[in-house]
Amino acid sequence: MSQEMTPKAIIFGSLLILAAVTFVVVLWPYTHRHTAPSEIYRQRTALEESGRKIYLANGCVYCHSQSIRTIDWGHGAERIAQAGDYISDEPVALGSARTGVDLSQEGGEHPDDWHIAHFINPRYTRPNSIMPPFEWLGMENIKSLTAYIQSLGMKGADKRMQRQRHWKEQVATAYEAGPAHNIRWLAEHVPEGWRNIPNPYPTTPAGLARGHKIYQDFCLGCHSPIGDGMGPAQPWIYPPPLNFTILKGREISGGIIYYQIMNGITGSAMPYFKKELESEKIWDVGNYVAEYFINQSDANTEPKGIDASYEP
Amino acid sequence: MEIDTGMEQEINKAAIAFSLTSALWFALATSMGMVAAGYLIAPDFMANIGWLQFGRIRPIHVNLVLFGFVTPGLLAAAFYYVPKLGRTQLFSQKLGVYNAILWNITIAIGVVTLSAGYTQGREYAELIWPVDMLIVINFALVIVNLVMTVRSRKEPILYVSIWYALAAVVLTATTYCLGNVIWKPSSGALVGIQDAILLWFYGHNIFGLLLTPLSLGVAYYVIPKVTRNPLYSHSLSLVGFWGLLVVYTHIGTHHLLQVPVPTWLKVISIVDSVAMVIPVMVFLINIWYTVKGKVGEIHADVAGKFVFAGTIFYFFVNIQGSMMALPQVQRVTHFNNWVVGHAHLGVLAFAGMTALGGMYYVLPKISGKPLYSHFLADLQYWLVLIGSGGFTVVLTIVGLIQGNAWLNGETVYRVLPAIQIYYVLRVAIGFLILSGAYIGLYNIVRTIFFNPGAKA
Repeated sequence: MSQEMTPKAIIFGSLLILAAVTFVVVLWPYTHRHTAPSEIYRQRTALEESGRKIYLANGCVYCHSQSIRTIDWGHGAERIAQAGDYISDEPVALGSARTGVDLSQEGGEHPDDWHIAHFINPRYTRPNSIMPPFEWLGMENIKSLTAYIQSLGMKGADKRMQRQRHWKEQVATAYEAGPAHNIRWLAEHVPEGWRNIPNPYPTTPAGLARGHKIYQDFCLGCHSPIGDGMGPAQPWIYPPPLNFTILKGREISGGIIYYQIMNGITGSAMPYFKKELESEKIWDVGNYVAEYFINQSDANTEPKGIDASYEP
Repeated sequence: MEIDTGMEQEINKAAIAFSLTSALWFALATSMGMVAAGYLIAPDFMANIGWLQFGRIRPIHVNLVLFGFVTPGLLAAAFYYVPKLGRTQLFSQKLGVYNAILWNITIAIGVVTLSAGYTQGREYAELIWPVDMLIVINFALVIVNLVMTVRSRKEPILYVSIWYALAAVVLTATTYCLGNVIWKPSSGALVGIQDAILLWFYGHNIFGLLLTPLSLGVAYYVIPKVTRNPLYSHSLSLVGFWGLLVVYTHIGTHHLLQVPVPTWLKVISIVDSVAMVIPVMVFLINIWYTVKGKVGEIHADVAGKFVFAGTIFYFFVNIQGSMMALPQVQRVTHFNNWVVGHAHLGVLAFAGMTALGGMYYVLPKISGKPLYSHFLADLQYWLVLIGSGGFTVVLTIVGLIQGNAWLNGETVYRVLPAIQIYYVLRVAIGFLILSGAYIGLYNIVRTIFFNPGAKA
């Protein structure tokens, strides 16, 4: 049987198979490539395009996917990837790993200054991050990279960026009007119902320990280990992170703290944490801040409803 | 096969040059892997050294393993067994040596350009156009040398190892051009989702049409030689060969099951991924039945041990691969370290160990000198075996933690503290592989140069 195998049979036979398969699984899909642009599609600007080059040159694609799947409900499946999102990507940067987060809808999730602090050193804004620092790129490159990241999500990102810019102006104005005005302004932008709610759970050593852990994992890069807002990210962020130690006697309820952690303060570098922290963790870290940094907590005061079953 | 003509083989300089190439880049490739793994446990390690940062080191690691270590190692064996099986001499030793020199220059340019940030930005197709051209020229030179050797053969029957060696280099030269979009030097890429389809067609074929056939060629040669058993079945080797080419080439799209590509393409890739069981089991039945009753011979021969372990890992990596192509499984395994474990199982544990076995088998024959140290070769065997096995177990655990946590609604950031200890373990186990690579480099260099031993 093996006599039938001649060099010609091997070389031309295998090339023939390859040609046939290539026709079916590469060429056929390629000839049907005329994908319509999706509803969020837009072209990138020159600055965003140069940022994309930096993204590719430095292998960001090895850790960050750009494709949200139907099963990504915990990652923010607000928008599932469509073929029409990628029609000007050459090469396409779908990515094959999520060592870091998916970035396909990252644009406008944070304001620019958050990204710059994060590129200088990712642990400045995300203490547990394992992304390497990119300070060595230089500020000009970091800015075009930021422009590219802020374009991810295209028209959807543009809408979110518009919101960031609108509120950035407002939070900056409030900050510049001095601490008293700033704190009042921040509290006023929490819905009234939340403002009147004290922290319903009592202060316990276990609760404070949980709060301490959450604070270390999420907060101290900006607000610093002693809550004075002078964390390592502070020089890059404007308006700067809030100094909790000035909040005493300024009617900051547990509900206000909870709402600000949950929802973030769009425009400022304060992100929303509702995707990452469950309810108990937000109450606990809020009470940790109240007890240790504000030195004034309304935990377990009226009105508090029926005690939860675990309460001592 | 088993045609020992007693014809004296000349000193095979081409095979020696490719062995040295492989041993050298194995050491450097694993060093790069260690640096990359180091960043994952200490991201500020070597902070702000641009050309050494993770995103540049990772493609260097991958390309060095594929084109620096495994491919030249497997080719070194082919440069020996193709003339040997044809009862002839290699067409041109000179061409082979120059080929190896050019190969090293190509790889070195690849490393420098990648670390300087010149990349096409496509996984497995990172190398920029000039380096792509050099790689294609390298493969063309290998094709010339092997085809001319086969044409000058005195043995009319072509043994299965030769089929695999010829098909591997011819098909890879073709898919490499296709996959790197060689007609578009500026980007080396198509646009949009079509680029992903082409990329994974090509990317998977680096494994399917280069490393796998070359490895099978080595196994088909070394296993019957070491056991002194005739090959179990020539018919099975025919089925396995053509089956592999037909099935393996279809499956690249299983990397894109969760991406908006045409459903029929996904279906083809899933069906054929499962069908991979056929050519794989056909090969394994053939090889393992050849070994039947001679496991002792395998155990006594370090080259046989390497290659035989490679076939066992081939079994695992393919069963795992077929499973991972099932959409329900991939919901958990996609985007995380499970896949990294799978890649190490395939490229290091199967193809890498087979390449090392092939080199240890041919080294005494191509150099006319005994292996410098059997002890060191054995030590390397255990280091790489435990290293690659342990690596796969650890990365599979990490992948399961990540995948299940994400499915359960956790964010990527929340899962990081849970997997950190496994990243530490990965580095620890990586040290075994790293030591194995440097021990192998020393052993192979000492076998060829400064070898005090008598002629084997």
